[in-house]
Amino acid sequence: MKILIVEDEPKTGEYLSQGLSEAGFAIELVQNGDDGLHRALQYEYDLVILDVMLPGLNGWQVLQSIRKHGLQVPVLFLTARDQVEDRVSGLEMGADDYLVKPFSFAELLARVRTILRRGRGGIEAKTLNVADLELDLLRRRATRSGRRIDLTAKEFGLLELLMRRQGEVLPRSLIASQVWDMNFDSDTNVVEVAMRRLRSKVDDAFAPKLIHTVRGMGYVLEEKNT
Amino acid sequence: MVVLLAMGYLIVASVDHHFDEQDRVAVQGKLELIQNILAMDGPSNQESFALKLKDSLVGHHELVVMVAAGDTVIFRTEHAGFLARYLQDPVNYSVREYVNLHSWQDDGHKYRGIAVILPESPGTKTRFTVAIAIDAQQHITFMDMFKLQLMLVGLVGLVLMGCLGWIVTRRGLMPVSNMARVAEGITAQRIDDRLRLDSLPKELHSLAISFNDMLDRLEGSFHRLSDYASDIAHELRTPVNTLMTQTQVSLSLSRTPDQYREILYSNLEEYERLARIISDMLFLAKADNGLMIPSRQQVKVHNEVGALFEFYDALAAEKNVRLQISGAAELQADPLMIRRALSNLLSNAIRHSQVGSAIEVNIASESGEVRINIANEGDTLTPSQLERVFDRFYRADASRSRGDDGAGLGLGLAITRSIIEAHHGRISAASAHGRTCFFVVIPINA
Repeated sequence: MKILIVEDEPKTGEYLSQGLSEAGFAIELVQNGDDGLHRALQYEYDLVILDVMLPGLNGWQVLQSIRKHGLQVPVLFLTARDQVEDRVSGLEMGADDYLVKPFSFAELLARVRTILRRGRGGIEAKTLNVADLELDLLRRRATRSGRRIDLTAKEFGLLELLMRRQGEVLPRSLIASQVWDMNFDSDTNVVEVAMRRLRSKVDDAFAPKLIHTVRGMGYVLEEKNT
Repeated sequence: MVVLLAMGYLIVASVDHHFDEQDRVAVQGKLELIQNILAMDGPSNQESFALKLKDSLVGHHELVVMVAAGDTVIFRTEHAGFLARYLQDPVNYSVREYVNLHSWQDDGHKYRGIAVILPESPGTKTRFTVAIAIDAQQHITFMDMFKLQLMLVGLVGLVLMGCLGWIVTRRGLMPVSNMARVAEGITAQRIDDRLRLDSLPKELHSLAISFNDMLDRLEGSFHRLSDYASDIAHELRTPVNTLMTQTQVSLSLSRTPDQYREILYSNLEEYERLARIISDMLFLAKADNGLMIPSRQQVKVHNEVGALFEFYDALAAEKNVRLQISGAAELQADPLMIRRALSNLLSNAIRHSQVGSAIEVNIASESGEVRINIANEGDTLTPSQLERVFDRFYRADASRSRGDDGAGLGLGLAITRSIIEAHHGRISAASAHGRTCFFVVIPINA
């Protein structure tokens, strides 16, 4: 997976490319709009991450040119301007998603994976399996080692999200948004508490532990070989 | 000015008219006299007629008289040449009416008078023509003088009036210029200056009161703003200070990777806090500047509360707090904003709820407004706490100001209020006997 990052702030650009390459992506970083456009037209990328405020062509102009040339490469915007108009114009011009600075890296990574997963539809699975944990999506039923686990509807949704994206660190804001449709920074540690309760049901009586807290980042469900 | 001119014109016209009338009366009197003498003496005795007429004119040297019998002048006073010339002109010969005075000019003098052909008496065939004129020079001179005086008086009056008007206006506006001086003196440092009502005339009291009220409001906003600015500085300084100290201490010795990781985690928490403060402040700043425009849709309030109950379900269960809802209502509002506003209220209620108690949310709609009441049981808030509960960075329990239990940044209720105000609604709070309630009122179609 190849990602082009267009970001003029050197420190941000450097850490973005480091973080994303460590997450397994091939990264190219350029520092202005003209270079960014040139590269996007010249080479093939799976995703372009565009800062809005750029020297030379700004992010919107780069996006417009890319779309004018008929390229459908997904574009994720980074914007410091927390303005509704920005969002609207960005999405109208064909951006796939946007993040408002300051954002957490975990959030960015989760969004990047979401965008890259799109369009790779495939057949919808009827069950999800991680180790001995099984989720029956049709009957909304969870079992571990053959034993039924009683979950509320939202707990089921939370577990489904974690299992669908197993191995990925999911930040709290993404979880709140995906499971409860809370699309703002909520004031509490609600996700933490909900996760603790889910864990007590899924992990307490079983081994190995599947749900892990990644401090400062979020949560991940995976079978860890320790 | 116009009034003055009109008055002057009127005075001149009426005096002129008066003189006219006076002249006419004099002339007519003389005419009657001549008629009488003619009637007494008969037209034959011309000498005695001239004598009598001369006698009667003694002392009336302003009068010019000419009498003709047929074409022969039988009597004329001095300077009467112009009358003879006038009467010889056939055009004027038939003058009978003496209602209107004629004007003549001769030798630099102006005369006014009449010329009359007397009806023929039955005995004689002689036709008498009488012309009487009065020297109007005196009157005219007087009128000229009078006009001049009138103009002078008018001019002086005008100047006087102007001066007086200026003085009166200045004196009258003195309190206003005093007000202006006070206004000029008000700066950020001296924003507590006010107009003193007792030094002002009654007419200006309401203006002064509004002015003072405006200053009160400005002073309030100003203090809030400066408090706010120092609050921001304080809120940001604390985490930045922590980060700096921690980083410096960490770097002073070589540490194990685990220790470094621990430090970075701790830093991350502070950074997240900072990021939250910044984005919340941005939200509030946008609201302050009127940039927060709700995109309105039909919102079912009870559904929103229901979704929030699901979200807070785990948290409430852990605190053994029950969430109860009653009523239903719909309104036109921004669903995301409404959800955020209610979320802050609910989270606040859970945080301050007593273990084992219930939070009651009541929704109702009446007279075009939706009312949402959120009540929880817990510590009673004092009136001074209630007053500040919507202020930015205000936390009722100062000891927990930076707790890690999600006690928040102290911006939640401020955000809630700004959202509700952006929807033209209002929010208030009351607290008594261990029960605190927040009242939200939003117009259904704002």
